[in-house]
Formats: sequence, C-alpha cells, structure tokens
Amino acid sequence: MFEEASEVFDNMFKSSFPLTFIVFIPAVLILVSPLPAEAAHEFTVYRMQQYDLQGQPYGTRNAILNTEARTVEAEVLSRRCVIMRLVDFSYERYQKALRQSAGAVVIILPKNMSTMPQDIVQQFMELEPEMLATETIVPVYFALEDDELLSIYTQTLTSSSSQGSSSAAEVLIHTATANGFQMVTSGAQSKAVSDWSITSLEGRLAGTGGEDLPTIVLVAHYDSFGVAPWLSYGADSNGSGVSMLLELARLFSRLYTYKRTHAGYNLLFFVSGGGKFNYQGTKRWLEDNLDHTDSSLLQDNVAFVLCLDTLGNGDSLHLHVSKPPKEGTPQYALLKELETVVSSQYPEVKFSMVHKKINLADDTLAWEHERFGIRRLPAFTLSHLNSHREAQRSSIMDVRSVSPSSRHGAGEHPAGPHVDLRKLSRNTKLIAEALARVIYNLTEKGAPGDLQIFTEQMQVQEEQLSSVVDWLTAQPRAAQLVDKDSSVVSTLEYHLGRYLKDVRRHYVKADKRDPEFVFYDQLKQTMNAYRVKPAIFDLLLAVCIAAYLGVIYLAIQHFGVLYSLVRRITAPKTKQH
Amino acid sequence: MTLFHFGNCFALAYFPYFITYKCSGLSEYNAFWRCVQAGATYLFVQLCKMLFLATFFPTWEGGAGVYDFVGEFMKATVDLADLLGLHLVMSRNAGKGEYKIMVAAMGWATAELVMSRCIPLWVGARGIEFDWKYIQMSFDSNISLVHYIAMAAVVWMFTRYDLPKSFRLPVTVLLGLCVYKAFLME
Repeated sequence: MFEEASEVFDNMFKSSFPLTFIVFIPAVLILVSPLPAEAAHEFTVYRMQQYDLQGQPYGTRNAILNTEARTVEAEVLSRRCVIMRLVDFSYERYQKALRQSAGAVVIILPKNMSTMPQDIVQQFMELEPEMLATETIVPVYFALEDDELLSIYTQTLTSSSSQGSSSAAEVLIHTATANGFQMVTSGAQSKAVSDWSITSLEGRLAGTGGEDLPTIVLVAHYDSFGVAPWLSYGADSNGSGVSMLLELARLFSRLYTYKRTHAGYNLLFFVSGGGKFNYQGTKRWLEDNLDHTDSSLLQDNVAFVLCLDTLGNGDSLHLHVSKPPKEGTPQYALLKELETVVSSQYPEVKFSMVHKKINLADDTLAWEHERFGIRRLPAFTLSHLNSHREAQRSSIMDVRSVSPSSRHGAGEHPAGPHVDLRKLSRNTKLIAEALARVIYNLTEKGAPGDLQIFTEQMQVQEEQLSSVVDWLTAQPRAAQLVDKDSSVVSTLEYHLGRYLKDVRRHYVKADKRDPEFVFYDQLKQTMNAYRVKPAIFDLLLAVCIAAYLGVIYLAIQHFGVLYSLVRRITAPKTKQH
Repeated sequence: MTLFHFGNCFALAYFPYFITYKCSGLSEYNAFWRCVQAGATYLFVQLCKMLFLATFFPTWEGGAGVYDFVGEFMKATVDLADLLGLHLVMSRNAGKGEYKIMVAAMGWATAELVMSRCIPLWVGARGIEFDWKYIQMSFDSNISLVHYIAMAAVVWMFTRYDLPKSFRLPVTVLLGLCVYKAFLME
C-alpha cells in the first residue's frame, strides 16, 4: 500500500508544482498555527501591588504564569502555582512557597469578605504590609471564589496531598483518574506605566470682611490601598474622610450663603490623590502653591490645616500633631473647642491629642499633616486610629460593611474594618460644631459648651453621607487605577462644584529622572485553568493502545480460528433447522 | 494535551484500519485505488444526503424538549442512501467475490474516518485541555469500521439471488437496524 501511495505522491510532486503548494502550504500553516483551546475554567485574577516609591521597589515583579497547580501540602512546589484559600492562609505557608521557588501563588478570597471570621481578617490584615515589603519575583494573584474554582481547589488538594504516600499501582491508577490543572494567564509581562498623573481637587469658600483673612484648610485623600489594587475599596480609610469633607463643605457653604452667618475665615477644601503613596498629591500641591505662584491662600495667613483620615468608626478621636499647639494660636483654639464639644455633647467619645514628631528618616510619612508641617504650616490629623501603623489603613479587608454574624460578643472588638454610619455622622457633627465654634469665636462670646448649631435644617444628613460612602466603596480607588478621566475624579469635582467656588484640578506626574513613584500595569488578568493529565498518563495510554493494537493484529491474523469457533458455536442452531 | 496525545488518539483510530487492510490480504489484490474510489463514492453520497436534507427538511421549530419523531424518522430514512451507496460501490467496483465487501467497507470507513474524525482530533487533542472524549472518538471509529464491514456484508447478502428464504428476514432486520441505529439511540 505504501508503494501505491508513494506513487501517487510522486506524480503529484513531479507533474504539477502548484498542486504541491496547494497541498503543503495549508498543511504547514495548520501545523504551526497557535491553538485556541477551551479551558476548564476562566476567571479574573487581581495581581498584588507592584510599585516603586522613592526608588524602593515593593510587591511582586512578575505577571505571567503558565504552570501546574498545586496546594501547599504538596512536596514539590518549585515552578508550580501554589493555590491557597484565605481560611488556610498563613505567613509560614506563604514563605514556604516562596522558599521553594514556586512559580506563582494564587490566593482564593471568599466572594463576600464580610462573612469571614474576625481572627482570620485580622491576621490577614497584619500580613498585608509584610507581603508587600518583601520584593518577590513570583507573581501573586488574588481570585474571588466561585463554585468551579472551589472544585478546582479541592481536586488539586486531593491530588497534592496524596503524592508520595502510596504504592506504585495506586500512583498509576491515580494518574489515570485524577485531574491536574494548568494555570495560564493571558496577559503580557508587567511594565512601568509612564506619564501617570495623579489628580487632586481643591475648592474654596471665601470669607467676608476685608482682605488678608485667615484660612482654614480641610484635607482628605480619596485613594485607597491594599495588597491588591483592584480589591482595595478603602471604606473607612479613607472613604469616610472624603464623605465627611463633602458634608462639611455642604454645611459651611450653606452657612456662608447668608450674610449673617458669613464668617471671617476663608475655607479651603482639598481632596488629595496619591495619599497612600506618601501623600504625593499634597506634596506637589504645596510646592506649586508655595513655591511657584505669587499669591495663594496658603502663602498668607493660614490658621491651621485639618486632615481627615479614617473617621468612620470607633469611639475615640485622636488629634495627631507634630508639635503641640501653643496657647493663643488658632490651633490651640481648635484643640480646646474639640475638647469642649466632646465633653459636653459626646461624653461617650474619648478624645486625646497624640504627639508624634516628624521623622524624616522614615521611608514614608506617618500622617498627611506632616506634609504641611514640613512646610511650616500648622496642621493636625483627626482619626479614630491611635497610630499610623494600624494595619487597617492599607488593607483590602476595609469594606463598606460586615455581616452581623461575623461579629463576636458585645464585649469584644467588632469585626474587620468597616464604616459605621451612625458613628461617621456623629463624628461629622462633632467636627462641624468644633469648627463652627472656632470660626465664629463662640467660646469667647460666652456660648455654652452644649450649644448645638447643626440641628434641624442645618443637620448633618446621614443619607448624604451614606450615599457618598456607598458610591466610593463601589469601585476600587487605588491610585494606579484612578487617572484623570476616571469617573471618581469627575464625580468628586461635580460634587465640590455644587458647594464650593473655584473648583480646580491639580495634577501630579512623576519626575522623569528621579521619579518619586512608579506604577506598573497588568494588575487585572484573566486566568485560564486547563485540565491536564500528568505526562505518565500519555505513556500509560500509549502502552495500553499498543497492547490493544497487538490484540487486534493477532485477532485478524488468526481470523480463521475465530471464525471457525463462531461457526462451531452457531452450528448446532443451524443443524436443528 | 500536546502532540503526543494526538498521536495516541490517531494511532488508536487509524491502526486497526491499517492492520485490517494489511492482514485481510487486500494488499495482494492491489485494491488501494478501489478503496479510494469507494471513499469518493462515500463523499458523493454524503453530499447528496446533505443537499437533500437541507432542501426538503426545514428546521424544526417546536418546543425545546419535544423530540420530533416524525422529522427525525424521515431524516434517518435518508440514511438509506448510505446503503444504496454501498451497493453501488460493490456492484460497480470489480473485485472478486467476498473481497468486494471488504474493499467497499474499507474505503467507506476510511473516508468516514478522515472526514469526520481527523479534524476534531487535530484541533482538540492537540490543545492543553484534556478530555476523555477524544479517546472515545478514536475508539468509536474502530467500532464503526466493524459496523461498516458488517453493513456491507449484509447489503451484499441482500442482493444475492440465491439466498435461502430463511435468511431473508434476519438480513432485512439487520439492514433496518443499521439504518435506524442513530434514530433508535435517541
């Protein structure tokens, strides 16, 4: 048969050249064409942070992966993709995977973070900065769990934990029946994003009564931070600060529309970007206003700068300062007014001043007011957190709300970081009252401590606060994801424009030669999980097929024997006819 | 799952044909071209069937779960053309005695193998994803080889004049089974 076949091909080659083309070129093309394959499961994964801050790299450096999946229990982890669930996650396991030079790590997070128990949330929050601090070349991805992913995980778990513990026969059977998974990402390698501009917004309310009025600046940063940029919603830190700022803007613009309540202070509101990356927005804004323009509200008489950071929860308020305010200064007045308001109107709130000197040797500044302090502007930050090192300031666990079932008993600390709307509105009212007392000089005029200004029509609107926080936490607001055309920025601009005048945008781009911050792309990928069989399976199958073919060959060779056998079996039947 | 797996499936599918061709002595009769002609007839018959089906049977617009018995029955009847094709091959194609059956069946089955199984195997078995269905498909082609040989034999028997009457009935039943096999499976 081969001779005849080769005759045919010979004729084809010799006689007509185009014919060979027609036959061979498509064959070659098909051979080398890349294959689109269907995956067992396709899901979105979010990469861990990757950024450089002041030349120091953080986070994972790699984005592509094409490796087999294993779980931590497996013995051989090198060049494999290690899958972990959040409930089983611990730093030792993570380190173990990295030490054995795993190919990648995928951490599966539950779909609804608010159902996680408190201790796991707390543990993960504390691990986030550690994970980021160690620069890894291994890509680390986070995926939200769904049924298919869970089944992939359990299958991988059973196959990983049974390795090396059974006999050869079991291993053979195991290779035939079990499923391995190959995880492949579809994107490219990550590279630095050039020309990323961080946007900040400012607006003002001008005071009445002549030139050279003192200015009060209210600042809040709107970006969020977490171990994965696409998963950082930043509800309490700093969605609460931004919503409070907008509410204060609304209240004071209302007061300022009436001549009788128009005060003699300029109010400058600043919503800054890049806050979690060492307050880049604020830094450049200060440079532009103080160094590069001739006249700015910041250059003249600044009474104080109040930064709002993480005020959506908790029963304590801390006023963080870098220098304790001296008596007779407006800062001191604010401090006193805050104490007065707290003691007379909100006795359940514990108020204190926290004094921390600016340490320029640190990698990053602690609070936002330190940026102003460096430029010799009197500033403080209000927060319900005691220390800037609290894990919840930069965690993906900071969500809008947590389910009541995940809280423990009444006496214990409630569940992970979230925004409690009543406390947020209480804090807003508290701060508004204190500011009003400073602006209108109420204590000197003899107003009692429990005089409430913001009541009835001037009330703090909880629905407004709630809707702003809900909108802010509906999308991730990491600085790498909010560019100048983003809807977050334009909506904030619109909101500020409703209450304030002279709303302006301010852009920060990293310096070309010595960039303060560098962001990288490929933060969200589609990962495919392909069902694969181990290589031994192919060999096993080949052996089986060879045996089968051998049997067929023998059967056909000795077909006569088989035929006579069948005839002998059926013969008695025909004989009976 | 890579070329190796494709090779495995291809071997599983094709080698029995090869072995059958070699060992049944067809090669001694220089029957290669005749097999190819039988294969060409297969293509022609399939083409006619498709045209016929497309022209005369509009798409069934009934409910999703209802099985259109009548329609499918008619469609299965068209498969009678398969039998006619086999008969045509055997009567036109010279070939001595029993070898007519083998030649016709081999050519027919090989054409079916190439047309309906090669492309899915190539595209599917070569990918990363593993699925048992490719091995199943290759094994299925083995079974259809035997099936076509049997079918050709029964057709041949049907057309013999000197067939004892007692065999007529089982032969007819078997023929009917062949045609409506797919229909009955549903």
